[in-house]
Amino acid sequence: MTDFKAVARARGLDIPEADLDRIAATLEKLEALFGPLAADLPSLLEPVTGICSREEAE
Amino acid sequence: MTLLEAASALRARRVSAVELATDSLCRIQALEPRLNSFITLTGEAALERARQADRELASGAPRGTLHGIPIALKDLFLTRGVRTTAGSKVYADFVPDYDAAVVERLEAAGAVIMGKLNMHEMAYGITSANPHYGPVRNPWDTERSPGGSSGGSGAAVAAETVFGAMGSDTGGSIRIPASFCGIVGIKPTYGRVSRYGALPLSYSLDHMGPMARTVRDTAVMLEAIAGHDRRDNTSSVRPAGPYLPDEGCSIRGLKIGVPENYFFDRIDPEVRSAVEAAAQLASRLGAEVRPVRVPDINAINAVSRIVLLAEASAQAGPHLAKRELFGADVLALFDQGRLLAATDYINAQRVRRRQREEFDRIWQTVDCLLAPATPTTAPRIGETLIQLGGVEEDVRLASTRLVRSINSLGYPALAIPCGVRGGLPVGLQLIGASFQEALLLCAGAALEDGGLRIPRCPLAST
Repeated sequence: MTDFKAVARARGLDIPEADLDRIAATLEKLEALFGPLAADLPSLLEPVTGICSREEAE
Repeated sequence: MTLLEAASALRARRVSAVELATDSLCRIQALEPRLNSFITLTGEAALERARQADRELASGAPRGTLHGIPIALKDLFLTRGVRTTAGSKVYADFVPDYDAAVVERLEAAGAVIMGKLNMHEMAYGITSANPHYGPVRNPWDTERSPGGSSGGSGAAVAAETVFGAMGSDTGGSIRIPASFCGIVGIKPTYGRVSRYGALPLSYSLDHMGPMARTVRDTAVMLEAIAGHDRRDNTSSVRPAGPYLPDEGCSIRGLKIGVPENYFFDRIDPEVRSAVEAAAQLASRLGAEVRPVRVPDINAINAVSRIVLLAEASAQAGPHLAKRELFGADVLALFDQGRLLAATDYINAQRVRRRQREEFDRIWQTVDCLLAPATPTTAPRIGETLIQLGGVEEDVRLASTRLVRSINSLGYPALAIPCGVRGGLPVGLQLIGASFQEALLLCAGAALEDGGLRIPRCPLAST
């Protein structure tokens, strides 16, 4: 699990400590959902760079 | 009177553009103290434009389908010489020197722009409780939110101060206010309507679309604004339209999927009953309504949130040093985006491709999906938590969880009202494959013709 408070401090972001508690908690929940989805991606799977129709993509 | 009825009356010279604009201004002046739906009114310019429209009509040269029709714009569409705030302090004094593509096209079709509409700050939220320009209020109950972020658009159309309005939808921001305000709104396919000149929130999730009181009014607006624009590098080259459904259009034989997972899992029972009644109506009208299992929407929503957080914080970057310029909720979201890793954003875009390919398979079995647009009716202004199915939820996450995934997938989705419960409208959404706007609008119009209509909102009758 990412330590988002440590990330904020390391990047020197001016986020007040009280706000950081709430933000970190929200991001931890999101990371718990997203982590498993991104855990095992095939090397050849490329990112979306702009959705277009199948015909336009070909 | 609907937009199409007004257009017809104008062409028959039963009413003038000046009369329509004057009536619109009078209604705005009368109702704005209760709604706060506008940030900037352009009354004088609108009247001058209406006089010009009448001269053009008299000379037999109407510009297009929206000739002389009062329309308003969410205040993130750039307007030459008229300030464009995005509902923020950051852009409080920003006066663009060019028009957004959508504005150019609306004016080319003859629309009379009445002004710029209030919205959730930076389009980054769903309440439209704007800390800088005041909260927008829902015309059905002014103690309630109109939804957002296109809240002013929803409120103005429902209160009938304008015939139609432009909105934008990054995570439901057209469909949520359409649902809460009892009007129609379409989020077109990504690439169908130009984003050029619309202040961005999230480059790959932002969609521009019209909101109006009926499906056909919405269709005629979409017809005016859709099409390729080389200035938007994600704009599709596919021909656009026609979108206006024929009189007597039918959904006989249309295969409509009703999701058996996720969309109905945790919603207000009143919303469920209204949407299920609409599905039954579709069946009676001859559609083949069948249950369908949809991919993991929670997973798509998670990916969509990561993309949104990262893209929004990237575009807002230069402004974030001045924290005092932002409301607390928006600032918290920008801060979240600044803490994500670049690898999370890239991997989210990779998962997004896979999710899109998986979801595309649905269109081999059904023509469109019918689902609730929001799990509840409009929340009270200031309400931050709601109870649904014994679970306490954040209002923003609850209101977006049925709509957000469709932005990530890029599909078109049409929100239409399907009932009134407890004095508040309920909305459903029809979701289709990419570039199937015409099919959705035909299905929506057939449902409207078949009786899926709600009464005017009480404030509109005053």
